[in-house]
Amino acid sequence: MAAKVSDEMAARIWIFVVAVALSLSLPSFASSQDLQIVNAERRIDLSSHIVKAFLTLKVENIGKNPAADMLLAFPPTQIKHLSMVQALAVTGKKKKKAYLPLDVKPSEQPDAPNDTGYFLVTFATPLTPGETVTLEVLYILTHSLEPFPMEIAQSEAQLVYYRDSAVILSPYRIKQQTTYFKTPSTRVESFTSVEPANRAGKEIKYGPYDDRAPYSYAPVIVHFENNSPFAVVEELVREIEISHWGSIQITENYRLTHGGARHKGVFSRVDYQSRRSISGSSSFNGLLAVLPPRVNSVYYRDDIGNISTSHLRTGYKKSELEFEPRYPLFGGWRATFIIGYRVPLEDYLFEAPDGRRYLNFTFGCPLVETIVNKLTIKVVLPEGSKDPSAVLPFTVNQDLQVKYSYLDIVGRTVVVLQKDNVVPTHNVPFQVYYTFKPIYMLAEPFMLVSAFFFVFVASLAYVHIDLNIVKK
Amino acid sequence: MAATPIASPIAVAMYPTLSGITLAIGLIVTAFFFIYEATSSRKNRSLGMELSTAAAASLFLGFGSLFLLLASGVYV
Repeated sequence: MAAKVSDEMAARIWIFVVAVALSLSLPSFASSQDLQIVNAERRIDLSSHIVKAFLTLKVENIGKNPAADMLLAFPPTQIKHLSMVQALAVTGKKKKKAYLPLDVKPSEQPDAPNDTGYFLVTFATPLTPGETVTLEVLYILTHSLEPFPMEIAQSEAQLVYYRDSAVILSPYRIKQQTTYFKTPSTRVESFTSVEPANRAGKEIKYGPYDDRAPYSYAPVIVHFENNSPFAVVEELVREIEISHWGSIQITENYRLTHGGARHKGVFSRVDYQSRRSISGSSSFNGLLAVLPPRVNSVYYRDDIGNISTSHLRTGYKKSELEFEPRYPLFGGWRATFIIGYRVPLEDYLFEAPDGRRYLNFTFGCPLVETIVNKLTIKVVLPEGSKDPSAVLPFTVNQDLQVKYSYLDIVGRTVVVLQKDNVVPTHNVPFQVYYTFKPIYMLAEPFMLVSAFFFVFVASLAYVHIDLNIVKK
Repeated sequence: MAATPIASPIAVAMYPTLSGITLAIGLIVTAFFFIYEATSSRKNRSLGMELSTAAAASLFLGFGSLFLLLASGVYV
């Protein structure tokens, strides 16, 4: 009897052990119902035409499994205009706060309601059950301020709509949240009221809202005045030509527009110059480009010729080029121009420990507070370069082309990097690696030497050849 | 992260001086070549002398024109 019971017990124990072993060996992480956001604060800066949103989230793991990542949700209208999403984990308190950058990737979820877009943020260490972590998320939206009225005369101010939600869209439950909108001036025509909402000076506060279910959304529209320059570069082609004889030549082709309310009616130069503060308040006539410190031979021209309305100030950390197009830009107007400059080679070309050479240059557009709709960067490598590859902190479209330039036989390899919707936050260094044997630099002078030698040999042949019909 | 900057093998500030010197020498050797051609008769001509003068002249003229291109801003 005792033996039979112990057999049954042993079998039961074995089944239990196997079941526990199986459940422990399978990796199991939290589903979206296991995280909740204890506190969320969102500050949206509407001062310029590039909308910057700062989100502070305090995330708690209320499930039983550790959470390795979390999802950030965005409505489909915002996903199209989202230029950049960055996340930082805050560690430490008060004076000893440290910020740890986290990996953020766009992600597709199969059961997304109403075409919501997602970004997956991976935690530095998986969040254990019961633990909370504070995240700071920055995301940047372009082309999100819609001018209304869509056409304005010269003396009118520019009013724009900004559409968003008073409640943060999230796949998790949010216990408490507040949203602040910061406008550039105190003139706010209207804002949708979602209780409790109030406005104080340049700040509109929505909240605090308690205990909202996942995917709750309360659309609001803020109609306010924004006269900041809506400088949008429709297309920018930057060509960076590397010459191993000592310089890097950069040529930038711009197609600039004013992306705000379109200008209707006539343009009165008299009104514009006499009443500058009222007339053309949303127009801009000057732009600032930040160039590298040791820059020389800067030129600014367009199809007509050189444009002389520019000022260059060189400095130790950076150079600033203040330039003006030939006419002020009102809504819908365009200006096309070329800016070119030269920088010394040793500032930007380095040798890696494995023997390859690499160019360390800044991505993006040198103009401040400007959106670039389509950016193409072409890095022209010298003749004889092999195995080109580009390393960037974000995704771009890469391509290879061939360019024929001075004293070229086989052509120069061009690494083409293309990205849409670029904002000044994308001005970070990137590297282009390639291998190059220094002996190939002699190909150019020897081409010239052989050309001159051919001339001498031709004159020798002329002197030696006897063209007489009758032998003397 | 040992990253050594790469510079040109010859200092960029030397390009105008170098182009002047090499072009001057090249033109002098070219002058020797053509004087030799003009003054020697068919019998005394030595092909070796002609070819070596032509080679030296074209070498100096070739490098001189390269430095001239670099000094004037055409970084080939």
